[in-house]
Amino acid sequence: MIGPNKNVKAARYGMTIDVDRCSGCGACMVACAVENNVPPAHANATDRTGLTWIRVYKIDNGLPYPETRSAYVPVMCQHCGNETPCAHVCPQQAVDVDPATGVVGEMPQRCLGCRYCIAACPYHARYFNWWDPAWPAGMEKALNPDVTPRMRGVVEKCNFCHGRWHAAKQQAAADGKPDTEPVSYTPACAEACPTKAIHFGDLNDPASLPAQAAKQGESFRMLEKLNTDTKIYYRSKRDWVRRIADAPHPAGTGKENQRG
Amino acid sequence: MDREFIARGVKRCSTGKFLLWILPWAALLAFGLYSAGLCLIKGLNQTNMDNRFAFGLWIFLDLTVIALGAGAFFTGFLLYILKIKDLRAVINSAVVIGLVCYSGAVCVLGVDVGQPLRAWFTFWYPNVHSMLTEVTFCITCYLTVLTIEYLPIVLKNRKLRQIPSFLVFEFELHKLIYVLAGVGTFLSFFHQGSLGGLYGVLRGRPFAFREGFAVWPSTFFLFIISAAAVGPSFVLLTTWLVEKISRKKLVKPEVFSLLGRISGLLLSVYVLAKTVDTLIWINRTSPESGFPAAQYYSWQPFGTWILFAEIVLFGLVPALMLLAPQLRARTGWLVTAAMMACCGVALNRFVMTVQTLALPTLSFDRFLSYFPSWQETGTFLAVVAFGVLVYSISFRYFQLFPSERELRRF
Amino acid sequence: MTSTRRDLIKFGGGAAVGALLTPAPWRLVTDTALWSETWPGVPRVARGEIRARYTNCSLCPAGCPVRARCLGDQPVALFGVADHPFSHGTLCPFGLAGHHLPYHPQRLKQGPVEQAKAAVAEAIARCGAEERIAILDLRPGRTASWTYRRAAKQWKSGTYLAPHRILGGDAAVNLAAAKNVISVGAPLFDGWGTPGNVIAARDKFRLIQIEATESRTASLADTWVPVQPGDELQTARKFAQDLAAQGPTLVLDAGERSEILALNQTTGALGTAIVSRREAPVPDSWNQAAPESQLDALPDRSIRVLLIDESAAGSYIPWSRIEKKLVADNPVVVVFGSSADGYGRHAGFVLPTAVYPEAVDDIPPAVDSPVAMFRLSTSLVAAPAGLVNPAQFIAGFAGIDAANSLRERADAIHKAGRGNLFTYADAKSTPLKDVKADDFWKALNDGASWADEAPVRPAAPILALVASTANATEDDLPLAVLMAEAQPTPGSPILTKLYQESNLRLAANRIALHPSAAKSCGIADGGRAMLQTRCGKLEVQVTLDEGLPPGVVRVPAVPCTLDLCGTSPRAKVVRI
Repeated sequence: MIGPNKNVKAARYGMTIDVDRCSGCGACMVACAVENNVPPAHANATDRTGLTWIRVYKIDNGLPYPETRSAYVPVMCQHCGNETPCAHVCPQQAVDVDPATGVVGEMPQRCLGCRYCIAACPYHARYFNWWDPAWPAGMEKALNPDVTPRMRGVVEKCNFCHGRWHAAKQQAAADGKPDTEPVSYTPACAEACPTKAIHFGDLNDPASLPAQAAKQGESFRMLEKLNTDTKIYYRSKRDWVRRIADAPHPAGTGKENQRG
Repeated sequence: MDREFIARGVKRCSTGKFLLWILPWAALLAFGLYSAGLCLIKGLNQTNMDNRFAFGLWIFLDLTVIALGAGAFFTGFLLYILKIKDLRAVINSAVVIGLVCYSGAVCVLGVDVGQPLRAWFTFWYPNVHSMLTEVTFCITCYLTVLTIEYLPIVLKNRKLRQIPSFLVFEFELHKLIYVLAGVGTFLSFFHQGSLGGLYGVLRGRPFAFREGFAVWPSTFFLFIISAAAVGPSFVLLTTWLVEKISRKKLVKPEVFSLLGRISGLLLSVYVLAKTVDTLIWINRTSPESGFPAAQYYSWQPFGTWILFAEIVLFGLVPALMLLAPQLRARTGWLVTAAMMACCGVALNRFVMTVQTLALPTLSFDRFLSYFPSWQETGTFLAVVAFGVLVYSISFRYFQLFPSERELRRF
Repeated sequence: MTSTRRDLIKFGGGAAVGALLTPAPWRLVTDTALWSETWPGVPRVARGEIRARYTNCSLCPAGCPVRARCLGDQPVALFGVADHPFSHGTLCPFGLAGHHLPYHPQRLKQGPVEQAKAAVAEAIARCGAEERIAILDLRPGRTASWTYRRAAKQWKSGTYLAPHRILGGDAAVNLAAAKNVISVGAPLFDGWGTPGNVIAARDKFRLIQIEATESRTASLADTWVPVQPGDELQTARKFAQDLAAQGPTLVLDAGERSEILALNQTTGALGTAIVSRREAPVPDSWNQAAPESQLDALPDRSIRVLLIDESAAGSYIPWSRIEKKLVADNPVVVVFGSSADGYGRHAGFVLPTAVYPEAVDDIPPAVDSPVAMFRLSTSLVAAPAGLVNPAQFIAGFAGIDAANSLRERADAIHKAGRGNLFTYADAKSTPLKDVKADDFWKALNDGASWADEAPVRPAAPILALVASTANATEDDLPLAVLMAEAQPTPGSPILTKLYQESNLRLAANRIALHPSAAKSCGIADGGRAMLQTRCGKLEVQVTLDEGLPPGVVRVPAVPCTLDLCGTSPRAKVVRI
């Protein structure tokens, strides 16, 4: 565990995602895979055995055609701040919550592959390498030099593009800025989103978009009653979209959003 | 041919017949080792587990066999600490069962993780908050204890005891037996409990999450009680099965009745505790997480029947059967009740492992289904075959049942 | 002093115990973890200086500006150019992974070049009086397209063919001028036009999406109007009548059907949301060029040699419409492309071409650019040896030297002196007349785009409407076919994130059915089936989608399904 340093002004990086703007194009998913060296799927992989650090789900209002209305929701690690479920359960401390940034980081080099953290995560934001990653011949040249590829048998997940945070820290140091100030950077998904539905920022900075969005009435967090204090604030003007913050509705009532 | 290795005063079948018995189990073991080998070499994509069903058949079986193997520590506790002398008749058998269950579970765990070479990381970088760290430490230590408890049984073999240093070693070890039993009880208390704690602490899975006492959720204590309850039942079952297969009387009938009574008593305590816990969970714990309990049982095929089956049909009913002296006296009823008790605990482990992961947590999730692949089933069957093989060899060459010689005269 | 064996053993034992008290064995134990951190085939990630290089994405006519983050010369990530006045820094999911295309395992690298040359030369010599030599250009408007038109002019019976388009050629869309947009299935937010431009203009217009299923665009529209396939024209006409009074109302159609686009003539769109667009200037010496013809206008069985340029993706014409124009006896069909999955399945010769970002080619302006644009997709990655440049290959048969055609075109544009040059490295816009010719060419190759200026007196746009051909009714086939959004073939290998590792997009080997339709065929989710139309059948895997209306099958817009369903709007699904 990284111990808290009292001189560092802690950031709490978070996001606001406007579900009303998301077109479900998947640019965020592709940009994330490019940035983090996520390999192409094995031939036998399915949507339950794939590696999608950010995944866009299609949700709908549960009504039959033609009353159906759908929306798209990008889901990645919610970076829980309160009693982070995955950090608590990892037997060899391969998950750590950085007090300087609030980012929940995963150390693939220490991961045993027991998948307890996957069972613990209610947002299904963690992914296991069921196969050894393989890139077509020559494609390794196109990998991002700032991120280590992982081997099979370990868990991986979104870390708010930690490589970019490091690069921002180095740039700040090169610019002579004090080390104790939080840096400003943009993860790959927020940068790639064509409709600008995803915004990233420091929740501790009242001027940042996520901090402002967090205060608005139409913002919600997923499974808020679990009290995990997540850092991703979703926004929508539509009531039925805001209901995805709740627990699943019972089967067969017709009100559940069953597509994912 | 191997007459010299078999103890005096007991009768065992011919070597040829024994080999005939061993052969199919050895073949099953070989197939199972091949399945496990595939999983180790090609990776866990050989299984049908996925990112939603991160735990499958193996974890369910690990939890079940460890609960069933609890007879080892609990019988030891009752015999050496509480001095219930009658249980001396079954303690050796219980230790072998325990050894088989725990070593099989540890081997399966070695295959179940993505990086078996990193197994020692848990000891090197332990996380004091994690139940799984606790499980790992206690199970490894307890396996060591069981191995040490198994040694005297091995060393008492007719041929091996001819080596004087073995005899002396075994004698000295026996002096420590009370210490070992105490340590074993202590360790078992914690790992049986923390296996329950594994699921009870999952705040992200309100189906499994429970409140509790200090850092221990209620499932911690429920697992201990249920394991203690089912341990004697499983010892009873295996003893009866071995008697049937070997066509010998191995223990006095009172021992069966004693085991049944102990099991029934603890099972009743367990059913009471479980009922209270379930009521608290339905009315307080789960709704406070925003998950009304009724919606869990709306997802077919896991309707409310599964709750009823776990607590009443395979919990209360066998408890009452085992407590009733008239039923305990009849072997048929006794064995049926013991089997139902074991099924009840297996069902409880199933609900905690499989049903927890099948249920959706996000409102746009689906109810998921999972069926193990043949490689997973093969690996599980390897554990069964390994168990039968070790037990068969122990039964043939070691004195598992001290009363056997005595009962032969009758 | 003599040392005995016992002394040696004592020394050894003491050393072992002593070593345990040092850090050495414990450090070595941690090193065993290295075995678990490396595996055969672990990629060695490169090291090098990070720089930015610029190009334009040629995966579709949008031609979005691209900043490539390069390790030395190797692109490792692609981004948009943030300050670009038209694309606003946007890239679509396909463009974001474009730098992987050269390494796609199914990418073509070898082909029978000499045999193809011989066959084409022989067939040209043999060409009968009624027969023709045709070039099919799937992305017209490029400089290469001019080369083809010039080559076709040189041959006795040369014909230049291009897919018919009503909007995107001489008539273009100015989205910012539309008050309302009635889109009949046009994927405005999912591959239509230039994504950055459409999104920037979003708040200016009201979008009515008329479509059988709630597509991505429909879910973001102001109103989604669910219709049965076949009722679109009627519904569009009604909305057009109601909305025309509010301001210029643009009517778009995914299939570019004339009867629907004709509605623009009564909604005030012509001259406002639809403008006439002049082409970027060409050298005067290129005047000897064949006109653009349409495939359907040719007599059947009249093409002896067909050369298809599939290297730049564009509209796919179903093979049945092409096949019937080929002569019956041994027509020579040569396809230029980077994948064998398109027309390569039907051609006699498939010649490999460079892919983005290897190729140097210009990108014609997109449908939503009101003025002409000229931009180059530059070569960021060296192309392997053995590839063919289609324009130079074809020009060779006509005695035309096309090696410098891009430079010649740039010089012609520069000579006309109109418009602005936007350079990406410094995000500066400069009037073209202030730029020297050599600097213009250099800027284009370093990453830039030229945009024409709007004419002072714009001509009235003319919609090239054609009479619609009535399709024979096919009511015996139970399902209406809906095309999904376009996808590039081949796309980057990591697009499995969208097609296989999630349910976000429909994969090339899948079709989507409503659960009740699937149940009546006895097919479960993921089950195998045969998709059958009048044109043939194809083995597919089925995805269940409750968002589809019953009675409809959604198919991916890839060549094998387009061959099957492009001319056949109804289908049947049979379980295997």
